[in-house]
Amino acid sequence: MLQKATFTLSDGATLDDLVKRDSYEVALRVMSDEELYKLEMERVFAKTWLLLGHDTEIPNAGDFVVRDMGEDQVIVTRDRNNEIHVSLNVCPHRGMKVCTAEAGNAHAHRCIYHGWAFRPDGSFIGAPVEKEQMHGNLLTKDKLGLKKARVEVYGGLIFATWNIDGPSFDDYLGDMKYYLDQLFCRTDSGLELLGPPQRFILPCNWKIPGEQSGSDGFHTLTLHRSLMEGGVMGGTPESIYDNAPGMYGVDVSCEQGHSLRCLEAAQTFKMFSDISFEGKSVEERLQMLPPPGITKELIPQLFNNLSPDQVEQLATIPPQVGGLFPNILVAFIFAPRTDGGSSGALALHTYVPRGPDKVEFVNFIFAEKDAPEQVKRDMLQNSIQQTGTSGVIEQDDADTWPQIMRNARGVVSKDITLKYQALHGHERPEGWKGGGLLYPGFTKDDTQWNWWMAYYNLMAEA
Amino acid sequence: MVNYATAAVDKASVMRGLVSKNRVPLGSEIYNRILETLYDEAAALDERRFDDWLAMLEEDLIYTAPVRLTRNGPNKDRDVMRTMMHFDDNYQSILMRTGRLSKSAWAEDPPSRTRRFVTNTRVAECEAAGEYEVSSYLYVERSRFDVAHNETISAERRDIWRLVGGAYKLARREIIVDQSTLGMSNLAIFL
Repeated sequence: MLQKATFTLSDGATLDDLVKRDSYEVALRVMSDEELYKLEMERVFAKTWLLLGHDTEIPNAGDFVVRDMGEDQVIVTRDRNNEIHVSLNVCPHRGMKVCTAEAGNAHAHRCIYHGWAFRPDGSFIGAPVEKEQMHGNLLTKDKLGLKKARVEVYGGLIFATWNIDGPSFDDYLGDMKYYLDQLFCRTDSGLELLGPPQRFILPCNWKIPGEQSGSDGFHTLTLHRSLMEGGVMGGTPESIYDNAPGMYGVDVSCEQGHSLRCLEAAQTFKMFSDISFEGKSVEERLQMLPPPGITKELIPQLFNNLSPDQVEQLATIPPQVGGLFPNILVAFIFAPRTDGGSSGALALHTYVPRGPDKVEFVNFIFAEKDAPEQVKRDMLQNSIQQTGTSGVIEQDDADTWPQIMRNARGVVSKDITLKYQALHGHERPEGWKGGGLLYPGFTKDDTQWNWWMAYYNLMAEA
Repeated sequence: MVNYATAAVDKASVMRGLVSKNRVPLGSEIYNRILETLYDEAAALDERRFDDWLAMLEEDLIYTAPVRLTRNGPNKDRDVMRTMMHFDDNYQSILMRTGRLSKSAWAEDPPSRTRRFVTNTRVAECEAAGEYEVSSYLYVERSRFDVAHNETISAERRDIWRLVGGAYKLARREIIVDQSTLGMSNLAIFL
């Protein structure tokens, strides 16, 4: 097995004691250990690419939103040249927040403490009483800007990293780009963030929701049993485990730790169960059942923006849920409505660390920008009713994770291991066009183990 | 599009309190009956008598909770963001939620123990006869499992209650929460 540089915690535990690569186990103590948390902030959150928002939030020059990269707060801005910048929200003068609002428009961010001012691109304008040179005599103005992160905009999604010379964004996405394009880059005008994200705090470590976002499909059957009871997913309350709706598909993943569950609608949802794609062309399939978030008017746009193979997958077995390492959940799901429609729900979450025992759940809700207004309205409602703060699916997750957290503090419990031993092994389905590590059939632990391996690899690098 | 940069005062995001000038005075018969209804509603929800609560709702109910945002300068009072919500419900979706709560809704099974404190109630007449604007403050203490520290939430509720067959029924509720980042770990309870 690959040997890597690692670390030793003060009680002698090494990374290999925590993430047991030989037996596919992770010690529960990783969820509560404070030393480990500090290392994660350095080796994961200050190193990898992080999702901060969407460019439709800041459409005009000077628009900004304040977001978090781990526990470091940043200002995400658009400048006059239409470029997006991510700058640390820390005044280099005395450490005050330069920006005290969560969103707005400003062509200069002036610190309220002593008045040092900065442009949307983070560059230093000056300090008050210019003739007195209150920025000092030692450093020139070009050295006094806000600390800048490296930025990449993909499908309108704003990513940033402090790892200025680290892996490119394309290397970060790896083979997942083929699948993610089908969600984020499929229409002419792209996605639109429908409003500021929902935000709320959960009393648990970021990795508890994090590892679940590595495509834990299996929990759906039990934790989200109400989806079956409510008649949304196939099966009855009595036959949930026999029918196992939504468990069969193709889980796609990669060594970067990202994954997506590709699911056929007919296999998952009761209302689609009589739809047969047998012998139907891609165009016919799209007309019969457009993928989540796509309306019939938008179907021609799919062919403009995606390859024929990508459109075929989206029409047949679309990626629906999964996540990007380290802390992003993707839920682009069919969402049957009580009024009979199904326009889908498109949501991304980030799980932002707020200390070893707290995480901020940030819920971004989207629709296609070119979708009709009523569809956007329906989709907003679908996403709010299913995901996030009051979402009937994710209420149950939010109540479960803090209880795992509580266990992780027990002196005996902390050495219990999380087990990822229900493994399928990579297997390429016949005729499958996309790349990556592929796991067809019943959803198992492979993708989540890949998440932990991505974690291991970053944590092993000082 | 989320436009944070509007220069003009955006009425939709400014807190307005009561719109009507026709106040229903404290201590009047109507005020007392409405206040009693709010107390009855709080008791029904605290005691998880959801059928009793549903009987207090009108079928054209709109039930929402916009997100709040910390803003500054000229935008500082425009902090109620109705483009995004914590609740975006109607009567049908409330039925879906209460129906779920009677089955495998682990978020409330075992259930939270809650106390809803309703204060600062102000009432005014709407233009439609028999409809009343009711603004009240809500403070909820929520005890979960054996955790000694309660989760709490504070909000202003702007309601329209309608007199139907001798009883007041809820037709509109907008819950203006105070936190931009909620300290409550989910909203599996009604506000």
